[in-house]
Amino acid sequence: MKKNWYFNLRTLLFSFLLFISSWVSSCSSSYSATTMHTNNWAVLVCTSRFWFNYRHMANTLSLYRTVKRLGIPDERIILMLADDMACNARNKYPAQVFNNENHRLNLYGDNVEASSVDYRGYEVTVENFFRVLTGRHENAVPRSKRLLSDEGSHILLYMTGHGGDEFLKFQDSEELQSHDLADAVKQMKEKRRWDDAHDHHVLGFMNWFKELLIMVDTCQAATLFSQLHSPGVLAIGSSMKGENSYSHHLDSDVGVSVVDRFTFYTLAFFERLNIYDNASLISLFASYNPNLLMSTAYYRTDLYQRQLDKVSVTNFFGSVMETIHTDTAYKASSSMKSLDSEMDSIIDETASMDERRSLISTNIEDQIDNSNMAQNCPFHKKMSEFYDKIKEIRDVDTLVNYGLVLTLPVLAVSTLLSR
Amino acid sequence: MSGIESINARRRPIVRLGVFLISHSLIVSVICCIAAILALLLLPVLAKSTYVSENALMPGSANTMLSNQEVSEADRLVKDVNALSLESVDAGINIAKLIARYMADLGAEVCYHKFRRQQNQFNPLHFFLSTDPVVVQRNISCSSFGVNTVGVIRAPRGDGKEAIVLVTPYNSSRIDAAEASSLGIGYSIFSLLSQVTWLAKDIIWLAADSRFGVYAPVASWLKDYHTPLFSGLGQVNAGVCHESNDLLKLKDAMVSDTNISKIFTRAGTMAAALVVKVVDRHNEADEDTLSIFAEASNGQMPNLDLINIVNYLAVHRQGLRVKVEKFWSLLDSKFLNFVGETVELLGKVAKSLNPNWRFGMPVAEYVEGTATLASSLFNQALGVPTGPHGAFRDYQVDAITLEISPKGSLKSMGQRIDFLMRGGRLVEAVVWSVNNLLEKFHQSFFLYLLTSPSKFVSVGIYMIAFALLIAPLPIVAASLCSDANRRDSSLSKEGSSQPHASADEPNPTLKSWRWLHAAKSVFVIHFWSSLVTLLPHFISKMPSGTSASSLLIWLSLCILSLFLLYTILGSPFSHITTSRPQEWAILKSVTVSAAFIGLCLMSVINFATAEIGALLIVPMCLIACPLKLDLQDWSFRALIRAASNLTLVLIAFPPATFYLLKGGIEGSDSVSVGNFWNWLETLWAWNSATYLYIGMVHLPCWVLCLNILLHPR
Repeated sequence: MKKNWYFNLRTLLFSFLLFISSWVSSCSSSYSATTMHTNNWAVLVCTSRFWFNYRHMANTLSLYRTVKRLGIPDERIILMLADDMACNARNKYPAQVFNNENHRLNLYGDNVEASSVDYRGYEVTVENFFRVLTGRHENAVPRSKRLLSDEGSHILLYMTGHGGDEFLKFQDSEELQSHDLADAVKQMKEKRRWDDAHDHHVLGFMNWFKELLIMVDTCQAATLFSQLHSPGVLAIGSSMKGENSYSHHLDSDVGVSVVDRFTFYTLAFFERLNIYDNASLISLFASYNPNLLMSTAYYRTDLYQRQLDKVSVTNFFGSVMETIHTDTAYKASSSMKSLDSEMDSIIDETASMDERRSLISTNIEDQIDNSNMAQNCPFHKKMSEFYDKIKEIRDVDTLVNYGLVLTLPVLAVSTLLSR
Repeated sequence: MSGIESINARRRPIVRLGVFLISHSLIVSVICCIAAILALLLLPVLAKSTYVSENALMPGSANTMLSNQEVSEADRLVKDVNALSLESVDAGINIAKLIARYMADLGAEVCYHKFRRQQNQFNPLHFFLSTDPVVVQRNISCSSFGVNTVGVIRAPRGDGKEAIVLVTPYNSSRIDAAEASSLGIGYSIFSLLSQVTWLAKDIIWLAADSRFGVYAPVASWLKDYHTPLFSGLGQVNAGVCHESNDLLKLKDAMVSDTNISKIFTRAGTMAAALVVKVVDRHNEADEDTLSIFAEASNGQMPNLDLINIVNYLAVHRQGLRVKVEKFWSLLDSKFLNFVGETVELLGKVAKSLNPNWRFGMPVAEYVEGTATLASSLFNQALGVPTGPHGAFRDYQVDAITLEISPKGSLKSMGQRIDFLMRGGRLVEAVVWSVNNLLEKFHQSFFLYLLTSPSKFVSVGIYMIAFALLIAPLPIVAASLCSDANRRDSSLSKEGSSQPHASADEPNPTLKSWRWLHAAKSVFVIHFWSSLVTLLPHFISKMPSGTSASSLLIWLSLCILSLFLLYTILGSPFSHITTSRPQEWAILKSVTVSAAFIGLCLMSVINFATAEIGALLIVPMCLIACPLKLDLQDWSFRALIRAASNLTLVLIAFPPATFYLLKGGIEGSDSVSVGNFWNWLETLWAWNSATYLYIGMVHLPCWVLCLNILLHPR
C-alpha cells in the first residue's frame, strides 16, 4: 500500500514537472539549438575503493590526464576518487599510479596537483555526486568543487566502478541507480528554467549544459542509460546488459590489474590525437572492437540531435569549439537584429561567464541572466524589437495624425455593425 | 464415525503428514537410513571445485621477488645451524641465539619468548576453557623450559594493526637437516620482507622451540601474545631456576646484544598464520610435495580461502604436488571400488541420456576422494588439532600447516638451494596475497570437508546425510509411545470386562504419565554416565598405573557404580508388572528421544563427531528390541533381528568400536589393550568435545540399548 502511494506521488510529481517544463519551454524551446558551444567541463568519477580496485582509479586518472592534455583546464574538471591507491600501504611504488605495466607514465605525477582531486575518499558518495550535477551545494562548498557550467557547456561525465543491472556501486555501501542518474540529468536540464519562472529566485548556482556525454566503464553499463530522456544527452557504456567489463591486463610488479579494457582502448584512441585533430565521435565509437573489449560497447544517440560524424571528439574531451569570425569589433550594447547580434550576444555571454566566475553576488548574475534571456527568448526578442522601433520614431505629431485617421474607418465600421 | 472423519478433514496438512509418517515409522526409518548412507557415499561425487571467493586476495597476481641473494643467505643460516647441532649434543639456546642474531641483522625487532612445559591435565571444571597459567606445578625441573625466538618486521607504511605470522618449528635439542631448512625457508622470506615496500601488515616470524612437541610452544606464545601481561622476560624468570645454565646464557645473550628487546614484542591482530615444516621423505616422491594440514580442535577449520590460495599458488605457480591427508588403507577397499564403478557407470548412463548432465567420476578419483573425505571427517570428529596451527584457531586466527617435502636430498647444496627457493616463493606469494586482505577471512566456508586439495563438500551438502540419519528418531519415538498407549488402552478395555483384573488397573490419569518411569531410568543412566566421564580424572591421578590397568580399573568402576545406582535408585526392570507388556517400548521411546537430543546438541559443537556417532547409534537405537521376545517368537525375522541387535551392540561399545577401527585402519598387530585408554587420554588432554560425546551421549545410549535387549518383556 505504502509503495503504491509512493508511486502515485511520484507520478504526480513527475507529471507536475512535465507540465511545468512544457509550460516554461513554450517560451524557450528553440534556443538550445541556437545557443553556441561556449566551454567544456568534465566530471570524472571513480566510485570504488579498496586496493584490488586499483584499476578504477587508474582509469579515472588516465582520463583526467587525457582531457587535460586536450585542453580542458583543471578548474573545469571535477575529479572524484573514492580511494587513494597512490598512498596505499600495499603500493609498491609509493605516490605513483600506473595504467600500464611498462610504468612509462606515472598518472599521479606532476600533472595531478594536490588540488586536482576535488572529492576524495569517503567524500565520494551518491549524495555528493548529485550535488555536483544539480548544483545544490551547501554554502561553504568552495567553487572548485562545483560544476559551474552554463547553457553553452559541453559536459563529459565519466564514471567507472562496479555496476550491475541499472546500478553503479559507490564505495562499498551505496548505489547509483539509472533512475537517479536520469533524474539528475533532467534536473540539470531544467534547473535554469525553474529559476527563470520564479524571477530572481535562484537555488544555488545555475547548472546547465548544451550537450552531455556520459561515458561509463562498468559491468552492464548500458543499463545505466535506460531511463535517460533529456535532450542533448549522448551516452556510451562499455558493455551491454548481461555482459561484464573486463580489466585489460595485470601488472605483476604491482600485483593488481591496472586498467580496464574499455578505458584502455579509449585512451589508445586519444593517444593518437592532439588538440587540433578533427576525429569525430563516431570514429571513437567505431574504434571499440567487441573482441578486444570482450564486451559490446553500447551507445545511445536517440536523445542527441547532431550527427555523430559531424561532431569532433574534442568537443567533449577537449576544449575546442567552433570559432566564428566577426567583422565588427566588440560591442557592449547588443541591440542588433541580424545574426551579428547573436554573435555578439555570445561574446557578451562568455564575457559575462568570466565575470560570473569572479563575482559571487547572485543579484548581478540575475541581471546578466535577464539581459541574456532577452536576447535568447523569441518572445522577449519581439517585444524588445517593437520597443526599439517605437523608440526610433521621432515625429510624434505625424504619429498622432496617422492615429486619428486610422480611427475614422474603425468608427465607421463599428457604427455600421451596431445598426 | 462421521465426526472423526470431519476432524481428520479439518486437520492441517502438516499434522496429517506427521500422523502419516508416525504410522509408517518402520518404512520411514528404513528409507531414511538407506538414503543417509547413500548420501554419505555420494559425497565425493557432489564435491565442488574450490574457488577463491575473496576478491581482495588476488593470489598469484604478483611476481615473486625472492632472489638468489636471500636464498643463499638463508642457506648460510642452515649451514650454521647444522654446524651448531653437530658441535654439541644439546645445542639448545645457541640455536635461538643464532636465529636472533640473524633476525636482528635484518633490522627486525627481536625478542625471546620463554615458556614452560605444560602438562595437559584433564580438568573437568575447565573443559573448553583454556587452562590457567602455569603456576599449578611447583617442582618443575629447570630443564623443562623452551625458548622461542620471535622477530617482527613492521610494515613501512602500514597502520600496524594487523600481522601475518610465520611459524617454523624446530627441535632445539635434536635438530635435523629438514628442520634446519624449514628455518632456512623462514629466514629467506623474512629477509626479503624486511626490504619490500608493499607490506600493509606486520610480519611475525616465530621460530618455535618444539622440544616439548610442536603445539606447546605456539600455544604458550599465543597465550602470552593475547594476555596483556606487561612484564619483561626477567620478571618471568624470577621464579624458580636461577641456576639453570641455559637461562643464564639467555640472560647473558640479552645483556650483550642490545638489538634484542627485553620485553615481549607484539604486532597487531593476526590475519593469518602459516606453519612451515620441512619433512624429509626421500623415499616416495619424484617431485616436491606439499601436504596441507588444517584441522584444529573440535573440528574447527580455517577459512577455505586460505587453503584455496595455498593450493592455487603451489600448483599453478611453484609446480608442487599438493596433498591432503587420506586413509591409504581405504584405497584398496573392494567395497569402495565397487561403489566407484557403479557411480562411473551411472555417470556414463546419465551422459548418454543427456550430454549436459555432469554426473559421475572415474573409479580411482572416487576412491581417492572417499579416502580423503573419510580422513577429513575422522580428523574433525577426533577434535584433536593436526598440528601447531590448531593453537591459532583457538584465537580465531586462520592458520594451516604447510608440510613441504623435497624430492632430492637436503644434504646437497644445489638441491637445497633450489628447494629453499621454491618453498620460499610459495610462502612469499601466500604472504603477498594475505597482505592484500582488507578484513579477516570471511568470504569462504568455515564448515567443509575436503575430498582433495582442490575439491570440497560444503556444510549444506554434508549435513543432508546427518539430517536423514536422525530424522527417524523422533518419528520412531512418537510411534512407539502412541502404540504402547493404544495397546494399553485396548488391554484395559479387555481388563474392565473381566472384573477380577481391576485390582491391577492403574488410575486413568496416571496412565498418561507412564513414560515418567522410563524417563527416570534414562535419567539414572545419564547421571551415571556423567559420573563415569569424570572418573578418568581421578584414575589418572593415581600413581604408577599402566594404561591397560587404568582401563580395567575404569571399566570395573563403571560396572560397580552402575549396579550401585541401580540398587539405590532402582533399575529399569524393577517396575515391571505383567499387565503392561509394552514397558520396553516406552523405555525405547525415551531412549531414542534422548539420543536424538544428544546428537542434535553434538552436531552444533562438532558436526563430524555427531555424523560418525549417528552412524553407530541410530541403527542400534532403531533396531533395539528385547531378546526374550525375539527368542520366544523363533521366526526367521525375529532371529535376524536378534542377531543384528547383538552385533550392533557389540560394535557400538566404545572400546570395541575403537579397536575395530584401529585394527581396520592400521592393521590388527598394532592394537593393544591400553590403546583405548591412551586414546581417551589424548582426547581429554586436547579438550576434545568428542570425549564428552562418548561419555555423555554414546555410552548412556549404549547402556540403555543393552537394557532394552535384556528387558524381560
